[in-house]
Amino acid sequence: MNETPHFPEPAPPVGRRRDIASERPVTPPAVQSEAKGRSGWVKLPSREETVVAIVAVVFLVGFPWCNPGYRFLSLAITTGFTSIALYGLGLQFGQAGIMSVGHAAFLGIGAYTAAIMAGRFGLGFWVALPFSALFSAVIAGLIGLPSLRVGGQHYIIITFCFCALLNIALTNGGSFTGAATGLDVGSIDPIFGINFDQLRNAYYLVVAVLLISLLVTYLITNSSYGRTLRAIRENEALARAVGINTGLHKIGALMVSGAFAGVAGVLQAYYLRHISPALYGPFPSLYLALMVMLGGARLLYGPLAGAIIVSFLPEILKLDPIDSRIAYGVGLLVVILLLPGGVSAGLLDIYRWLLSKRRR
Amino acid sequence: MKPRNLSAAIVAAALAWPAIQPALADDEELKIGVVAAESGSFVSAGNTIVAAAKLATQQINDAGGIKIGGKTYKIKLYIRDNRTDVNVTIAAARELVDDIGVKAIWGTETHDFSVSMAKITGAAKVLQFSGNSSLGAVLDDKSVAPGGWLHYTFQSEPQEWQRSGSTAKGVLALLTPLMAHPPKHSVVFVGNDATGQYLSSHYVKALEAEGQQVDLVKYPPDTTDFSPLLTRIKGMNPDIVHFWYNGDSTLTAFPQALKLDVAPAYFLFGVDPGIYQQRQLKSDKPVTLSCVPVCWGSSPYPVVQDYFKKYFDLGASKGPQSSVSLLYYDYFFMYAKALEEVGSIDKPDAVVDAILKMSYQGVVSPVPLTFNAHHQVTFATEVCLVKPGTSDQFNCTVEQPPPAPPPGDTGG
Repeated sequence: MNETPHFPEPAPPVGRRRDIASERPVTPPAVQSEAKGRSGWVKLPSREETVVAIVAVVFLVGFPWCNPGYRFLSLAITTGFTSIALYGLGLQFGQAGIMSVGHAAFLGIGAYTAAIMAGRFGLGFWVALPFSALFSAVIAGLIGLPSLRVGGQHYIIITFCFCALLNIALTNGGSFTGAATGLDVGSIDPIFGINFDQLRNAYYLVVAVLLISLLVTYLITNSSYGRTLRAIRENEALARAVGINTGLHKIGALMVSGAFAGVAGVLQAYYLRHISPALYGPFPSLYLALMVMLGGARLLYGPLAGAIIVSFLPEILKLDPIDSRIAYGVGLLVVILLLPGGVSAGLLDIYRWLLSKRRR
Repeated sequence: MKPRNLSAAIVAAALAWPAIQPALADDEELKIGVVAAESGSFVSAGNTIVAAAKLATQQINDAGGIKIGGKTYKIKLYIRDNRTDVNVTIAAARELVDDIGVKAIWGTETHDFSVSMAKITGAAKVLQFSGNSSLGAVLDDKSVAPGGWLHYTFQSEPQEWQRSGSTAKGVLALLTPLMAHPPKHSVVFVGNDATGQYLSSHYVKALEAEGQQVDLVKYPPDTTDFSPLLTRIKGMNPDIVHFWYNGDSTLTAFPQALKLDVAPAYFLFGVDPGIYQQRQLKSDKPVTLSCVPVCWGSSPYPVVQDYFKKYFDLGASKGPQSSVSLLYYDYFFMYAKALEEVGSIDKPDAVVDAILKMSYQGVVSPVPLTFNAHHQVTFATEVCLVKPGTSDQFNCTVEQPPPAPPPGDTGG
């Protein structure tokens, strides 16, 4: 069996004397990754990973054919663009170790850039998509500058403050930002004759961007750049001592994360077709942080799992918002205590445990 | 069940089916959707939409339904909780429009949600009745024209300059005789969100048109400790502090203002006399209240009293926003009347035209309801004066809206 994960394994939980991780070879996972990675710029996926990827693609592409109804298809679109933003946060937190509780602000920058471009300059979705991604990336880089001097909880507070400040600026931005009322956005311009007003086509557009996000995330995390980010995450001082320009790489990770959020913001703006500051405040940011921690920031399918759980759990279990928040709080505690790598890492552990039992 | 018994049951059911069939076919179904917050932070406003829709549906169905084109239709309500979440609102609207095929939707309680929902209902030619007066910012000649994205949307709350005008007139008329000198300086205290910004922009103009010098002070929507801002307001030496939107925050801020003795007179927007009495609020200074659209706690109109009796008998809660239910109730009857006139449930354009031409005497207003060319309704505002030192003695008056927006107010 190929034991090498495509992302480094999460650290074993404190207080667990014997777990599945301890039954694996004693070589630290990060070192395994490093060793594998040296054979080329990007590690090729294992057979196991390829099968999982095919199942994920079939599931995402085949979902509308399972006749989910417009309600679930709608929620799937929401889950899709949320996941795209989470992949950025996953890279930033899971790989570079920089947590943010103001990530919705970068969605807001993407969404507002698209809405202002449409409203003021008549530039539609296809122009706004790359431009908003770039603009969000630049802003994320600028906001990331303090991370060169402070880390951990200090930077988390900075992201929270930035999110709150952006919200105040949008709310009081007059006609330029639409103030608290917000801005309206038109439809996505058809391309190759595809009408994105049809919900199924909108879903496939979001899935296409999501799959690109997945691919980019895979390429980054399995590249030498990903290994550099993980080295910074594990011991920044040591990484600097061996000659890594940690500041440059941290800003780079934040800019990639901002670009993901910007793309997600544009998709959200054109899906809702009306945006307002309330969508991009501290509370939605906390939800994004919750999703990425629940799903798992370090595994490839963790952010997607987190978005699916938070979007669909209240729908399936018919939980009202208060019950949902209680469930998320309890879930987060359980994840922190028992599954520090998130639900996706827990599922992977269970799968490997079952596989090892079968082989015995 | 034995095979022989099963066969007998199937044969019996097959024989009985033609007899059952005409009875079922007698009543056609008119599908109407409601999207409102039954949970989450907007639950108090959302519940009023649901309760009003249930009451109107029950009354219409109990009265025999709606006669449309020789058929009798009974309303079937499809109520969806939006959980105060725009994503769930969109999903619910998609489900109601595309999966269920409703002909009209009532809701939502929030401007942003209503606007996003209108993009779906408009494209599907489904009528939408939303209370938000802030819709006035987007209801214009282009958006409501045939083919416009708001052609099928109706604003069931009056234009904000109308409500602000009638409220300002009513408040000043009731307070002035009780004050040492005619009030000249007003401070408007308002929540800084979409609705608050929109509403206060009109109310300030309305007060200025009545000769007031006005200062506007905004508070963040989730504020619970208002004392720093109230202390600042006290330093401005106002004659009247107007607690404008929203009613829930006002109920927290007003007792703090009384403790700090901020002003010689107060106005509480969206606080019903019934709630004032329930909370046993008491002030030695004159206090005026207004409700959207009329007060359930002290209305002088028997038809309104009768409505609220039935409304609360259905189990609806007596809250600060209970009166808002009237914004949605009357329009069920108006829509039903329009369908009867058109003679079909499948001609939404004709139904829109019929509603625009209609004059309907509802509960919400002593004068008949009519929609203007921008799909906005007009009605008066009820303002009540609390007798100083009491919690349960009110003097209510209804002020008609001004004929035109005040100077500096562009309408909308």
